[in-house]
Amino acid sequence: MSSIEEMKKNAEFLIEKLPGMEIPGSAKLSVRYRNLVNFAKCFGITHPKYVGTEEEGIVACHAYANAYTIKSLYTLVPGVKLVQKGEERMLVKNPRMILHAGNIYNWEGCVDVKPGDKLVGTAKFGKVWLVEANMMLFAELITTIKNQNNETVCNVVVTAGIRKGGY
Amino acid sequence: MVKISDLKVGQVFRNEFEGITRELLQQYAKASGDTNPIHVNDAVAEAAGLKGVIAHGLFSFGFISKLFEDFLEHGKYGNIIEFHIEMRGMVRVGDLLVTEAKVEKIEGKRVFFDVNQITFTNVDIKDKEGNIVKQFEAGERGYISEKDIERGLVKTKEVEEGTLTYRERVATPGKAIIELYE
Repeated sequence: MSSIEEMKKNAEFLIEKLPGMEIPGSAKLSVRYRNLVNFAKCFGITHPKYVGTEEEGIVACHAYANAYTIKSLYTLVPGVKLVQKGEERMLVKNPRMILHAGNIYNWEGCVDVKPGDKLVGTAKFGKVWLVEANMMLFAELITTIKNQNNETVCNVVVTAGIRKGGY
Repeated sequence: MVKISDLKVGQVFRNEFEGITRELLQQYAKASGDTNPIHVNDAVAEAAGLKGVIAHGLFSFGFISKLFEDFLEHGKYGNIIEFHIEMRGMVRVGDLLVTEAKVEKIEGKRVFFDVNQITFTNVDIKDKEGNIVKQFEAGERGYISEKDIERGLVKTKEVEEGTLTYRERVATPGKAIIELYE
């Protein structure tokens, strides 16, 4: 485990470096009818808008935003590399120390997700801050999810916490 | 029909779900792509110090969105604009999950809600002599902590079989904004 001084220096580096930084690459997710139905059924959803027949057409329930958010997180964040004091380092030194602290989902002006859609998630970092009481570092990940027609299906701000020893 | 003129600040809408099982978490893991084994494998969860599987952080959010989808009759009376949720407390197999949304303010056709998801975790039922007559998973696996007791989250109530001990806490606080058509 890093010393408190070392952790504070790492936190200061990340607080200065990350805000506004675009994450290279994108996360892709192909939306399948069966998957949308199975997802909705987890929550007891029975309305045909979300679990009707493939022929009649369905859309994703709002909770499906979880699926493309997780896909974006798992794809984009582990690949983030930084250079600190001339040495390359991963953003998260120990992935087990990551906690998912919260999400903001915004659908204003967005279109529905439908079977057959090919979603693409891109992200950049928002605010980054340290809570010294427990040395937890928090970072916002501002994520935009678009479909194959370049229409936005959801804007998501993910807040992740990294416990001490993880950054 | 849901109209803006029918709503008042302070009104509360709620749903309940009492069917969180290991099978459901497996189903959700597959559907969501969140395959972290701490949600589906007790041995892995125990090794991570969790004493047993925990629900995915975003799993319970599904019941918040369902509450509003049902309220708006699936887009018939308006749209969901935004949800803001925080994951504060772990949700466990066997928990009763209660989702409540309280109208905080109304601006034009937009309605702003305070949202709280509360978990009720049964621990055990004791008879009048203090003997355990029924133990739940939280009691067997020790999900209730000293901090829960210190914070006053552990409560009792009389039920048919004796005295039920349970924990009540806010697992997911948040906000929601919807927009009605009229």
